[in-house]
Amino acid sequence: MKTSQKDPGAYVRRVQEGASSLAQDLIAEIERLQVLVAALEAEKQRHEAEQARLQAQLESIRSESQTFSARYAQVELQNSNLANLYVAGYRLHGTLDRAEVIAAIQEIIANLVGSEEAGLFALDAATQTLRLEASFGLDPEAARGLTLDSGPIGRAARTGEIYVVEGGKPAESGALLDRLTACIPLTLEGKVTGVIALFRLLPQKAAIEDLDRELFELLATQAAAALYCTSLHAKHAAGPAAR
Amino acid sequence: MDGKKKILVVDDSKTALFMVTTILKKEPYELVTACDGQQALEVAAAEKPDLILMDVIMPRKTGFEACRELKGREDTKSIPVILVTTRGEGENVEKGWQSGCNDYVTKPINAQELLAKVRNIIAG
Repeated sequence: MKTSQKDPGAYVRRVQEGASSLAQDLIAEIERLQVLVAALEAEKQRHEAEQARLQAQLESIRSESQTFSARYAQVELQNSNLANLYVAGYRLHGTLDRAEVIAAIQEIIANLVGSEEAGLFALDAATQTLRLEASFGLDPEAARGLTLDSGPIGRAARTGEIYVVEGGKPAESGALLDRLTACIPLTLEGKVTGVIALFRLLPQKAAIEDLDRELFELLATQAAAALYCTSLHAKHAAGPAAR
Repeated sequence: MDGKKKILVVDDSKTALFMVTTILKKEPYELVTACDGQQALEVAAAEKPDLILMDVIMPRKTGFEACRELKGREDTKSIPVILVTTRGEGENVEKGWQSGCNDYVTKPINAQELLAKVRNIIAG
């Protein structure tokens, strides 16, 4: 005969005790798991906070990198602009030969500005006319006999102010003065001694840019000084009789 | 020998030559120069540069002619050539490609564009 059959009450008590023990174990396990979940939750929050911090840091680094890239490009541009001005200045003052200075002016206009038509006019103060001293890419006859009343070229000689056509790009064709891009008065000690007139730009040159305007400023003073130096040198080389 | 890449710059314009060498001087390249197409052939054969930057319109021999000859010679045919052209229209560019050039830049020279093309070919 089995015990349960002998004492059913004892059997029920044992089952109840077992069930109670199991329930307590389960409660303890649940509590342990709750503590673990809370710890993991806290860990997760820490990770999320860390991730947000790193994300913000990454954004900041990205933004800084973009700033540096933009700054680098700006410095590179400034460097190349300075190189242009340095080359122009060096070429203008690298010789005392007038023909060489004129060649340098022509090369600066062709290679650094990007114009294929230009004329260098000397101002005759006595007759108030502009004499074409040198030109390239244009018909010299069309540029002769200009006076101080002759449009933007004459005005630049009269006022000493640089002229740039509106929009920085002239007409592709037409009469010479219609193709005028810019006039650079050559000034020495506040007096205009001549004018450089630029006509058609190279096809790939969209328009006159900021750097070109800086080159015009440089040409206005430095080309005038360089040309004047060649005259002084020529007089000096010719001896006292020529002075 | 410091292992610097050698670049031959060819232009009959002193200003353009000075401009290009000024741009390239700050880079780790050794520069040699020539002032026309004929001299470019002689210097290229003697110096064996890693790259030639050559103007198109020059006396004695144009850039197109010099490029064609360089590409036809056994000892210089592998040297990359960048032509520097005043006229950037299709016809001129096409002539450049026909002469065998590897790339071209137009005047007025943009320093950043020139440096990017030179670096690209030198890194080749």
